[in-house]
Amino acid sequence: MDKVVFSSWEGRAVDNRKGKAPKASKGRDIAFPSPPEGEKALALMGWNGLVVMNPKANIVGLTLDYLKEVRKLSCGECSVCMIGIDKLLDIIGKMAKGEGSKADIAEMKAIIKQVCVNSKCGFGQSALFPVMDSIKYYKSDFLALIKGEKKLEDKDYSCTVTAPCMDACPAKLDIPGYIELIRNNRFEESLDLICENCILPGVVGRVCTHPCEDACVRKDIDEPVSIRLLKRAAADDDLQHGGSSLNGPQKEREERIAIIGAGPAGLAAAYNLRLMGYGVTIFESLPHAGGMAAVGIPEYRLPRDILNHEIDLIKRIGIELKVNTKVEKLSLKDLKKKGYNAVFVAVGAHIGTKIGAEGEDKGYEGFVDGVEFLRNLNLGKKVKPQKKVIVIGGGNTALDCARSCVRIGFDDVEIIYRRSRVEMPASDEEIEEAEKEGVKFNYLMTPVKILAKDGKVTGAECIKMNLGRPDESGRRRPVPIKGSEFTIDTDLIIQAIGQRSELPVIPDKEKIEITKWGTIKVDPITYMTDVEGVFAGGDCVTGPAIVIDALNTGNQVAKSIDCYLQSGSLARGITFEGVDLKKQMGRGFTVKAPAQGVGFLDVKERAGSFEEVEGGYTTMEAMSEAQRCLRCYRVVVWEKAI
Amino acid sequence: MVTIVIDGRKVKAKENSTILENTQELNIDIPTLCFHKDLSSFGACRLCMVEVNTNGKWQLATSCNTSVEDGMEIRTDSDRVRESRKLTTELLYYKYPMTEAVREVARKLGVQTPEEKGESHDCILCGLCVRTCREIVGVSALTFQDRGRGRDIDEPKIEFNPNSCIGCGSCAYVCPTGYVQMESGGDKRIIWDKVFKMVACKVCGRFFAPEDQLKYISKETNVPFGELTTCTDCR
Repeated sequence: MDKVVFSSWEGRAVDNRKGKAPKASKGRDIAFPSPPEGEKALALMGWNGLVVMNPKANIVGLTLDYLKEVRKLSCGECSVCMIGIDKLLDIIGKMAKGEGSKADIAEMKAIIKQVCVNSKCGFGQSALFPVMDSIKYYKSDFLALIKGEKKLEDKDYSCTVTAPCMDACPAKLDIPGYIELIRNNRFEESLDLICENCILPGVVGRVCTHPCEDACVRKDIDEPVSIRLLKRAAADDDLQHGGSSLNGPQKEREERIAIIGAGPAGLAAAYNLRLMGYGVTIFESLPHAGGMAAVGIPEYRLPRDILNHEIDLIKRIGIELKVNTKVEKLSLKDLKKKGYNAVFVAVGAHIGTKIGAEGEDKGYEGFVDGVEFLRNLNLGKKVKPQKKVIVIGGGNTALDCARSCVRIGFDDVEIIYRRSRVEMPASDEEIEEAEKEGVKFNYLMTPVKILAKDGKVTGAECIKMNLGRPDESGRRRPVPIKGSEFTIDTDLIIQAIGQRSELPVIPDKEKIEITKWGTIKVDPITYMTDVEGVFAGGDCVTGPAIVIDALNTGNQVAKSIDCYLQSGSLARGITFEGVDLKKQMGRGFTVKAPAQGVGFLDVKERAGSFEEVEGGYTTMEAMSEAQRCLRCYRVVVWEKAI
Repeated sequence: MVTIVIDGRKVKAKENSTILENTQELNIDIPTLCFHKDLSSFGACRLCMVEVNTNGKWQLATSCNTSVEDGMEIRTDSDRVRESRKLTTELLYYKYPMTEAVREVARKLGVQTPEEKGESHDCILCGLCVRTCREIVGVSALTFQDRGRGRDIDEPKIEFNPNSCIGCGSCAYVCPTGYVQMESGGDKRIIWDKVFKMVACKVCGRFFAPEDQLKYISKETNVPFGELTTCTDCR
């Protein structure tokens, strides 16, 4: 961290200004927001304090601009915050006109204290804290303004708004914003806001693993706000009112873009590019669009018509979708001949990785790959139930396979995982529901040999494991226990331990770099491969991730392709890496209230049916849950160095 | 029932009741502007502040929407409470100096209110109209207009949806400042700039209710419209 001229971030004052005794910052450096790489800021003001990097910074101007930005987020639903900010703006305005006095400084401090202590939401309680710092530590600048020695200059300021939940969200959705709209019974506007960053709201509102909820400030108070279910409520409300269409592009552009793969990444890129006016064609090898959302997630988690409705809305703004069309060769040259100016590869990761057990390559009947199993099931293939199935793996795919088998009618469904419950990557909610449905879990074991007779699986020889020291994933490494082999008899074995991509053939003259994991290498900011005009993203770049990751990639790739075709440059924002976003200097009294629950399909009714298990919120329930949101908006304003 | 302490006095309180419900029962005077006993609490005006201690720390909290917990201690008249209420009133008065409802609170809490020429009927964003329309009437014709990121609206305000409004006038009744105006004259009623056709009582001929309101009642109760066209006096 470069030495700062001054910092009051998180209440720890570091004052290196001329004439002041240099104070060594005690303890570790506290991370504060930093400008994007390559850019420099003279000073920044954020919810936890003031940071000055250059003595030339205009602190009064920065304070005024911060107040203006903060005023935009003041919702007016409590008296003190909005009026308090207005009064502070009026006072500074008075000072600038030469009508201020020293007494105004004391009054500003009193107002700031009042707003911080009495505001209704987390935003009001935290927003004015740094203004107190600027008045306290840069008092002479304000006095100079009052005396007319200094003038208010118009500088170039930038502003970023975030929140703990927003920063955790891969797509950076305006979560307090869409929750606020639900709280005010404005479901349509809430859905519009959601769709700015997430074009599959009904899907994500059902299947997301919600990193936002894990980051929610309320998690430390009572329970996180049910952000995912609120997103679902906005989508469901729209469907109940007939399902509104998406707006199309305002103008048309000449260029056309080819997208390979109609999964979430491809769909999000297609939607955004089309909105910018480009011609878009998606090539999809399967009979349906949707990618993993269509062929990986079972219907009891994501009803088919929800996904189809949202795909349909995207198509209707003028996107050409060619299903059952596999792109065998990835050649931009060929595509250019067909009239395309750029291509986005988003083929996902649809091939199951192997366990490494003896006999897995023999093609035995009754040994299947989990990804293929779910895909066939979702494409309508009938699976005959047998007595027993073991599913190998600990992620959501394994859980999906197991819970699907329960519904197909297998008597005995068992999950085998080589580590313990603690290390299992599957979400807690999935594991709990699976346990309710009678799925058995066996930890710390893995198959070493597939046993078969006459080409049909009869069982698996497994070995027990112990947990040793952590591996690259940070989880404790499973170590086989010598001599602990035992046999499990079974009719079907499903392996669901990982996924990799099947990439189209890449001609030598247009070589793009593939990593050792079989994923496509891209520039982390532009998503472009080694070949100009060829972009890639989603699971085929990152390895298996969640739907919202792919949607965000699609959004970013669209912007990047637009910049590439129009010779523009990508806008970059401030980063909050390492910054404690949850922390605010002073929090009001929060009444503890549990999250609103939803109904679940009775366990007895789940066997034999792929009917949706989790229910959604009614309008009133959604509005009530939305009231629990503390509105933890965090504003950062910085003065750019020229 | 739980036991709480209000101003040093041990009191039995119903579980999940609010602090304000209990102080009102004890006739302790706490100022409010956005509170109504028949509506959900909103915590907008910030006047009903009290000090609360549940975990060893005294914190300011709005009494209208803070539920009591067993062992909770409450101070309704400490220096900190009085200072908080006064500063809040000063801010309200700063923004709405000509609105009588605000002036009344200001006078009560010791804020100087010099004589003003004329009177305003500002909307103070208390939300009483919104909550009434949603919770009592049930048509949700009024909502807060959203602010939030990217919305560069100068002033937050209450938004009116003419398609949902039935012209009942409950919002005008509950508005503390007179911002919501209802004009009634002859066979018309005008509220939120929407004109409603009034229905005349089939007995006495007096125009007594908007047609839209009677249609709404008929739809909700399944009572035929024709049976609703008698005014309350003539029933």
